[in-house]
Amino acid sequence: MTDSAPRPAPGPVPVPAPGQGEGLGVFDRTLLDRCISCGFCLPACPTYALTRQEPSSPRGRITLMRALESGDLTPDDPTLVEESSFCLGCRACEPVCPAGVEYGQLLEQWRDHQWQGRDRPLIARLLMAVVSRSWLLRLQGLVRRHARDRRHARDRRSARDRRPAHGERGQPVSLMLGCVERGLYPSVSRAVRELRPEVAVPAGQGCCGALHAHNGDSAAGAGMARALGERLPGTIVTTSGGCAAHLAHHLGRDRVRELSEYLEHTGHRPRGRVTVGGRPARVALQDSCHLRNGLGVARPPRELIAAVADYVELPGAGGCCGAAGTYAMLRPDDSRAVLDPKLEALRKLDVDYVVAVNPGCLRQLGQGLRRTRSRTKAVHLAELLAMAARSKPETTPVTEPGPGTGTGPAAD
Amino acid sequence: MHTHAETGPAGRRAGEPAGSPPGGPAGDLAAIVGRDHVRTDDGALAAYARDATPLFHARPQAVVLPGSTEEVAAVLRYATERGVPVVPRGAGSNLCAATVPLRGGIVMVLTRLDRILEVSPAELLARVQPGVTTAALADAAAREGLLYAPDPGSRTVSTVGGNVATCAGGLRGLKYGVTRNHVLGLEAVLPTGEVIRTGGRLWKDVAGYDLTRLLTGSEGTLAVITEATVALLPAPEETGTGVAYFDSLADASRAVAAVIADGIVPATLEFLDRKCVSAVEEFAGLGLRRDAGALLLFGDDGSGRTVAGTLARIGEVCEGSGALEVTLAEDVARADALLAARRCSLPALSRLGSLTILEDATVPRHRLAEMVDRIDEVADRHDLRIATFGHAGDGNLHPTCVLDPDDGEGADRAHRAFAEIFAAAIALDGTITGEHGVGAAKLPYLADRIGDDQVALLRRIKKAFDPAGILNPGKLGS
Repeated sequence: MTDSAPRPAPGPVPVPAPGQGEGLGVFDRTLLDRCISCGFCLPACPTYALTRQEPSSPRGRITLMRALESGDLTPDDPTLVEESSFCLGCRACEPVCPAGVEYGQLLEQWRDHQWQGRDRPLIARLLMAVVSRSWLLRLQGLVRRHARDRRHARDRRSARDRRPAHGERGQPVSLMLGCVERGLYPSVSRAVRELRPEVAVPAGQGCCGALHAHNGDSAAGAGMARALGERLPGTIVTTSGGCAAHLAHHLGRDRVRELSEYLEHTGHRPRGRVTVGGRPARVALQDSCHLRNGLGVARPPRELIAAVADYVELPGAGGCCGAAGTYAMLRPDDSRAVLDPKLEALRKLDVDYVVAVNPGCLRQLGQGLRRTRSRTKAVHLAELLAMAARSKPETTPVTEPGPGTGTGPAAD
Repeated sequence: MHTHAETGPAGRRAGEPAGSPPGGPAGDLAAIVGRDHVRTDDGALAAYARDATPLFHARPQAVVLPGSTEEVAAVLRYATERGVPVVPRGAGSNLCAATVPLRGGIVMVLTRLDRILEVSPAELLARVQPGVTTAALADAAAREGLLYAPDPGSRTVSTVGGNVATCAGGLRGLKYGVTRNHVLGLEAVLPTGEVIRTGGRLWKDVAGYDLTRLLTGSEGTLAVITEATVALLPAPEETGTGVAYFDSLADASRAVAAVIADGIVPATLEFLDRKCVSAVEEFAGLGLRRDAGALLLFGDDGSGRTVAGTLARIGEVCEGSGALEVTLAEDVARADALLAARRCSLPALSRLGSLTILEDATVPRHRLAEMVDRIDEVADRHDLRIATFGHAGDGNLHPTCVLDPDDGEGADRAHRAFAEIFAAAIALDGTITGEHGVGAAKLPYLADRIGDDQVALLRRIKKAFDPAGILNPGKLGS
């Protein structure tokens, strides 16, 4: 550091230009090249909010991906392994990215490489094995009595309802049951059938493959999405934002409608009001990350809630709740750290219900609220709307499915 | 997968085998800032090897995240004793490689120091730690009915410490000036560990050299800023924004000169050429015209009547200068959307190619049209696609070169072109950088702008602050 120090040479430190050099071939280079490291994504990232450290930000992770691709870091580098798993995959970085980086795609490619075989977390492997076996899904759905066509047809005794279901532009409409939801929350699909009897529930549905795609097997994930697309005729309606985004990516955006979107597109007018102790219920929404960030759907669920209750915006509703697919099971501590500020926000808001539009979020919020002994209840949008519709039996009689109904085999 | 037992949010230590206490320099640093706030794993070093500047990267040996002024001082004393380079860093959103650790050493990240210590409506000032984001400061001021005027494009990300260190500009420069016009005082730690407080809560204070201004824009080469006292203004009653389209950027430049010659000093006068408008429109979907050669975004704030009058007058001047169309934003939401879209011009441009290199040449306002023509001519001669946007009211241009992935030696051509653009700016009484800073990217051109005598003086100043030469070596005055 003397006055006679030589002037630095002009120009930058030499590095291979983009597109040059061999590369490992893990990533689609055009996707990777999109990021210019501006950092506009940092404030949107829940894991960066936890650590405030660059490697746990979207920009930092893309730098890590580039280091993996260029061989600068080896695939077994502990930070690579850790960060590919620490990322929630919520894609909150995508809508705020002016450069249009498709981070969700990059993350799938990263995990495809990082989580091969034994490197995939054991819980993820088990879950993937379960959801790959459609007979197992069907069995748990049967035991838990999700919505089915045959029961419905019998209960309603209406010839009109037995015609093939039709929705937008005369297309048939099929309800996707989901792999998790049909076992954990069978009342959600039943609520959809209460609201929209025209929606068919084809039997023999498998999993959409989102679980595979998010856990390092995007090829299987894509295959499962296509297989489900063949099983379900016409427009596919799903009550899961995560499944909607995955299916839309593989089957085309127009083929898939998340429930709130479907209701909006078909001009659904919610009936009734949800009340608590004689007053309108105060209800907030927790967005589904992939629905909001992947498909850009945020307004329809809010409007539907506002039609049947006092809608209250939850501060940070668009931020991840920490469920993030398998994340809550793979990384329970981090998942809880992401959830805690949301529970605090809900405590301050003191609403009667918080609505989820994705089964993972429903489970995460329900567990968190019970753990903190909150009076707020987590419900699915379909359940809230059905609850409202039931509140006015004088308008339209609605059969409430109870135990003992719908025990017959599902119709195709 | 779960080899890291201690994965508490703040306690993440990716890349380090559980249970092994760090030794050597990492251990020394951990003794100062705590184990959770030192990273020496390869992944973290790779992540902190770069900022928002393309093509520059160099890995440090360690990353520390101090949690107090005392910890900053202790790390600096440690580094000075051992002659280890220290590069202070905020959000790493700078565009001149100012935070790339060219000589290795320690990257000192100040984002943990993120408290707003005070917002005083009575004194019209705020006191903040360096890791507070610009937007967080502005929001805190707004809650008290006050305005923090500097608003760099990266305001949602950038930190106040980084803004001061680079003297960040922004979209309101014309009427309100830049960061330096709003910094009243600083707390800073010298590389040798002494904590100094410059300036303070006073608008008038001439006791001593103006070290506050010297540190503002010093790019982390003289001291580490650990607190800033900034001036606030009463929030203007109203703001308004309008858009004018022109055939070319040179036409828009002449309109800008005409507006200012008319005696109008609006808060904002920004322009974008057709390529930029297209890229921004693709991201933001605001319904901007893509067929015009250039867009001029103008805005003002103040009392309702003043704003309406200024916007109307600017509209008239633009029409008189050949504007194709002039429209005013119908409401605040629309105005905010337009400004937000303008702020994301650079990243949006990266949609057009795989590598974007942007510059920051600045000329006196009345020479803007000449500079715009020179940029076009240089781009043609080097067969480059250069899109230009910038703070027209400040004569501050951001010519941005967008390269295709298969353009192997494109970056070389771009650097030759920018050398010519800098020379052209200097020839027009302009400068090599208006607001992004010199950093590593423009250091080779610094002497062309300020001359050898001043470069020598910078070096003597640097030596007075930093005898061991540990702070951000390879940058200003090193």
